[in-house]
Amino acid sequence: MSDTRQDRITNHLTRPIIKTGRAYYGTLVLLVIAVIWGLIAYIVQLTRGLTVTGMNNNVAWGMYITNFVFFIGISHAGTLISAILRVSGAEWRRPITRVAEAITVFALVLGGIQILLDMGRPERALNVIFYGRLGSPLLWDVICISIYLLSSLFYLLLPLIPDMGILRDNPDIKGWRKEIYRLLSFGWDGNPEQKRRLEIAIGIMAIAIIPIAISVHSVVSWIFGMTIRPMWHTTILAPYFVVGAIFSGIAALILAMAIIRKVYKLEDYLKPIHFRFLGVLLITMTALWFYFTISEYLTAGYGGLSEEMHVLSAKLTGEFSGLFWFMVMSMTIAFIALVFFRSKHAIGATVIASIFIVIGMWIERYSIIVPTLTNYAVPSHEVRIYYPSWVEWSITIASFCGFVLLYFIFVKLFPIISIWEVEEAEEALGEKIEVIKDYMPGKTSATTES
Amino acid sequence: MDESRRSFLKGIGVAAAAAGLGCTFPLLRALASSGTPAAGVQTRQLCMVIDIEKCLNEDLIKDCTEACRIEHNLPGGESDPERQIRWMWTQKFEHTFPDQAHSLTPKELRGEQVPVMCNHCTNPACVKVCPTKATWKRESDGVVMMDMHRCIGCRYCVVGCPYGARSFNWHEPRPHIKNIRPEYPTRMRGVVEKCTFCAERLREGREPACVEAANRITEGAMTFGELSDPNSKVSALLKTTRTISRQNALGTGPNVYYIV
Repeated sequence: MSDTRQDRITNHLTRPIIKTGRAYYGTLVLLVIAVIWGLIAYIVQLTRGLTVTGMNNNVAWGMYITNFVFFIGISHAGTLISAILRVSGAEWRRPITRVAEAITVFALVLGGIQILLDMGRPERALNVIFYGRLGSPLLWDVICISIYLLSSLFYLLLPLIPDMGILRDNPDIKGWRKEIYRLLSFGWDGNPEQKRRLEIAIGIMAIAIIPIAISVHSVVSWIFGMTIRPMWHTTILAPYFVVGAIFSGIAALILAMAIIRKVYKLEDYLKPIHFRFLGVLLITMTALWFYFTISEYLTAGYGGLSEEMHVLSAKLTGEFSGLFWFMVMSMTIAFIALVFFRSKHAIGATVIASIFIVIGMWIERYSIIVPTLTNYAVPSHEVRIYYPSWVEWSITIASFCGFVLLYFIFVKLFPIISIWEVEEAEEALGEKIEVIKDYMPGKTSATTES
Repeated sequence: MDESRRSFLKGIGVAAAAAGLGCTFPLLRALASSGTPAAGVQTRQLCMVIDIEKCLNEDLIKDCTEACRIEHNLPGGESDPERQIRWMWTQKFEHTFPDQAHSLTPKELRGEQVPVMCNHCTNPACVKVCPTKATWKRESDGVVMMDMHRCIGCRYCVVGCPYGARSFNWHEPRPHIKNIRPEYPTRMRGVVEKCTFCAERLREGREPACVEAANRITEGAMTFGELSDPNSKVSALLKTTRTISRQNALGTGPNVYYIV
């Protein structure tokens, strides 16, 4: 509409890119130190072998694989949420899609790295391509995650094009940054034909990405589900993992939004209403999570297969009961916060719920992976509980810091809220009124056929 | 412009469809081929029959695990039992056969150590999950083999095997081998290894080292041979004695049998 309004939005949303505060550099340094510490820990692991971890021949997978599943889960924040909201035409998505899409790309990068960290001979990683066996669920993951990473990168870059045009034409930006923007704007000048094509491309990607995302977390679950180990070999695992992924993904998205909102003073863009709407999605996912969890544990417990009962009782009353019940408590607190406090304290309630959900979901992944491997049914020696070593802790913390670091750099280079999409909201206003008129009784409009 | 764009999109579509199909066929083939062979089909499969009672002998157990250790340059001196490289080891009867033991299992079996090793399953769970074909089932004799040069150390097979028959080299094994036998290769850290029914001895027409060592102490403690051969000693034993195998319900088709 009016140029002044557009200018104001552009100004607000490009400010984080143009101006950099002291706090930014301070945090950056801390993150880089954490990542370097993780690298040192990894060098120790490379020189001495996986003996520096807490794993053994029973619990042969531990924290790294937990992180892998967790990060891939978080990645569903983005692309999937943004795609679903785009496809369903949810107008309120406009300021949050990019926050979400960036999470996807970086979470996938960190998730993929976890597998490399876990490998005994990482230098042979390419054997998976040279000698890949398509019968192995691990290869299904390699294929699906690669496709997901490429398509979500594409899906992140597509809606960036108009914003790249805006930044390219910004007189305050010079040097190498201007070059990047010029390159990524792909000659964008905002003519109607370009806009039409971009809309079509984004539309196609939004639809294509939904089955891809679901396939990714299904094959992640099948790494476990396809084996014949107790409490892994269950048909619920794929949908359970997908639900858990979207669940933790939305929580991560809410946390990212809350931080960005605060740090960059974007209160006018990421409003309580966005948190409230995401909160509704989160309530749905919490309920689904409880439903799946109860369904799985009741089935295992009621059936009472002796092998499964060993693992189940270790979780409910045994060595893993602390973790298990902490997870259940976290989800319960999240549910209560969301249901009872969301309408009054939209941001506070959803943020608290999200913190509990993110922690709870990491524990969920851990307590799916480790207890089964602790091998209660066929212990060759005394049952021994796996504790991650300092190397595993260091690398894990560094991985999370690395994730935030990538995000930090992204926010400095690219507008974290889509400028053109927010600007276009005004234009969509008229369309929405037409749509609402369309489905009101007794009205006919041009768009109605027959 | 528009035309080239259309053909580009078409090209992408065709490529994606081709990639999709290309992935599907080998996948289906791989899935189909991993099943158990149909009943009555003669596939060659080496197997072992272990007489539990004859193996209730500490010297015998010590001799055969030691024979295996020396034969294959297995590292020793690992204090953590869960990190030992073991091709052959012993575990309590009730842990080996959790579906056979009950609260009144005879005293002479309960708590006794039963020799265990890779079962060289007919439908091996470890082979199914390996992403690089570093482990495979040898067609000529059914031995589950291991290529330590191709193994990427993902440990999916360790996790997938329900018998705990696979060991990962958590640290450099070479310094912990007492006397390296130059005839047999040593391993590097970061790879998985396992019993191969002494593939190197089979090549020379000899029996596995553990069988040889066990029978030197008690004749008939362990019997080794071809399952599909009706005249072999193992098939005679399996036909005439009462034998069990580990966790049969799992469908892996273990090929190490135990006389109870």
